[in-house]
Amino acid sequence: MSKPTPLLPESDAREAALFFVVAALCFLAVLAALTARGTYTAAKAWSAQVEGQMTVRLMDTDRRGADEAAAIVRGLYGVESASVLSQAEMEALLAPSFGPGGIPEGVPLPLLIAVETMASAPADAETVSSALKAAGFNAVAEAHATYAAEARRALGTLRVAAIGVVVLLTATAIAVIAFATHAALLARKDIVDVLHLAGAEDSFIAHLFERRFWILGLKAGAAGSVSALAVTAMIVFSARSAGSQSQLLPQLSLDFWDLLILAITPVAAGLAARWAARGTVTHSLRATL
Amino acid sequence: MNRFRPDFSDDPAVELNGVSLRYDTADDVLSDINIRLKPGSFTFLTGASGAGKSSLLKLLYLALAPTAGDIRLFGQRTGMLKRKQLSAIRRRIGVVFQDFRLLEHLTAFENVALPLRVAGQKEAAYRTEVVDLLRWVGLGERLNARPPQLSGGEQQRVAIARALINKPDLLIADEPTGNVDPDMARRIFRLFQELNRRLDTTIIIATHDMHIIREFESPVLRLQHGILVEDVEFQGA
Ligand SMILES: Nc1ncnc2c1ncn2[C@@H]1O[C@H](COP(=O)(O)OP(=O)(O)OP(=O)(O)O)[C@@H](O)[C@H]1O
Ligand SMILES: [Mg+2]
Repeated sequence: MSKPTPLLPESDAREAALFFVVAALCFLAVLAALTARGTYTAAKAWSAQVEGQMTVRLMDTDRRGADEAAAIVRGLYGVESASVLSQAEMEALLAPSFGPGGIPEGVPLPLLIAVETMASAPADAETVSSALKAAGFNAVAEAHATYAAEARRALGTLRVAAIGVVVLLTATAIAVIAFATHAALLARKDIVDVLHLAGAEDSFIAHLFERRFWILGLKAGAAGSVSALAVTAMIVFSARSAGSQSQLLPQLSLDFWDLLILAITPVAAGLAARWAARGTVTHSLRATL
Repeated sequence: MNRFRPDFSDDPAVELNGVSLRYDTADDVLSDINIRLKPGSFTFLTGASGAGKSSLLKLLYLALAPTAGDIRLFGQRTGMLKRKQLSAIRRRIGVVFQDFRLLEHLTAFENVALPLRVAGQKEAAYRTEVVDLLRWVGLGERLNARPPQLSGGEQQRVAIARALINKPDLLIADEPTGNVDPDMARRIFRLFQELNRRLDTTIIIATHDMHIIREFESPVLRLQHGILVEDVEFQGA
C-alpha cells in the first residue's frame, strides 16, 4: 500500500495565497537588508577614503604662487602629499556642472591644492591655513572629514530605518500567518473535531498544522529570498553597466553576511510560520473540552 | 459491621449525577440526569426527536461539559481531569456519530484506521484488522473509496467500523442504523451484541427503532424533553 494520505488535506487555494504573501514579505525584507548593507558598506569605504583628504583654496595668486603654496603644505608635519590641481583635473571635477563641452572661456577658476594627510597623525585644516597665512597667502583649507561626519550620521539613520523595515516586515509576516492559520483551522474544523474526539492530544493536532506551515514558510521564504537576490543583482548590474560613477553605488559583494541573510530568511519564515501555527491551534483547542 | 471490599468491577463504567446541560439558550436541554451503566452493560437510549439524546451522548463522549452535575467515566471524574487525561479517556471510547463525520479526503480504509493512527500505530500493524472489519460490514470491495463516492448506508458502516476498530471499553452510537436496511441493521446490532459479550464492551445506543429495541431485550433509557423518565440502575445486559 502507498503512503497514507496526510490527515490534513493537501494545500488549497488559501494556502497558495498565503505562500505568495509570505514570499513577497520575505522578498521585501531581504531586499531592504541587502540594499541597506550594500549602501552602508559602500558609504563606509567612501567616507574612510574621504577622511584623509583636504582641499586648500587659494585666492589672489597665480599658478606659480600656487606651486609655492603646495610646497609649503608638503613640508608640514602630518601631510602625505599636496599638489595643485591642473586645468584638466579641474575640468574633470566640474564636468558634471558644465557638461562635456568643457569650462567656457573667461569663467574664473579658483586654484585648488589637493592634500592627502597622514593616516597616523593627520594635519588639521587649521594648521595648514595658518602656515599659508604666515607665508603671506590668502588661503582657506577644508578637511573633507567634515562632510564624512554628516554622511556617517545619515548612514546611521539609514541603518536604523532599514532595521525598522525588516522588523516591521517580519512582524507583519507573523501576523499574516497567524491569521491564515486561524482561517485554515476554521476551514478544517471538521477534521480537528474528529481527531480531538478520537483522543488525539493537542500536540498531535498542533503538529499537523505546524509541519504544514513550517514547510510553507520555508518554501515561501526561499522563493522570496532568491527573487530578492536576483533583483538586487539586476539593479547593481544595470547601474554598473550604465557606467555610473557614483561611489555610493551599492556593492553586491555577496560576502558572509549577505549569504547569511539569504540563508536565514527562509528558516526564519518557516519558524515564524510554525510558531504562529502552534500558537493559533493550541489556543483554539484550549477553548474546547 | 461494615467490611471494606473493593470491587472495581462494580465501579460503573458511566455515572452521571445530577447532570444538566444548557446551550446558549435559556432552557435546559437536559435536566438532573442520573445514570449508572455497569461495565459490560448494553443500554438503549430512546425518545422523540429533540428530546436530547444526541446531547446526552455528547456529554458521554466528552464533546461537551455539563452545565451542572458531574460525570464519571471508568471511575474518573471528568471535571477534574487534565486535557491529556481526557484524551486518554477518549481513546477508550468509540463513537458512531449521527452525522458520521468521516473525513472526505481519506479512503474508507484510512477513515477506519484513524483512531489507530491517532494512537500512534503503524499501518503494517493494523492493516489486516482494518480490512477484516471492513469486509465484515460488507465493504471489502470499497477499501479505497472516499466518502463522497459511498452511499449513506455505506458511509454509516464505515463510521461504525471506525468506532469499533480499537476495541473500545465504551461504545457510544447515535442512530447507528438510521441509513441502512433492516437486514444490515440487524447485522450491525448483532455485531454490537457480540462485542458486548466477548470483550465486555459497555454499549449505549440512541435509536428510534422499536423493533430492534424489542428484539434485543436490553434496558432502555427514555428521554422526554430532557428528562429521564425510565431510570436504570445497575442493570446488566
Ligand atoms: N448546539 C446547539 N445549540 C443550541 N441548541 C441545540 C444544540 N444542539 C441541540 N440543540 C437543541 O437541544 C435539543 C436536543 O437536541 P438533540 O440533538 O440532543 O436531540 P435528539 O434527541 O438527538 O434529536 P434527534 O432524534 O432528532 O436526533 C433540541 O431542542 C435542539 O434544538
Ligand atoms: Mg440526535
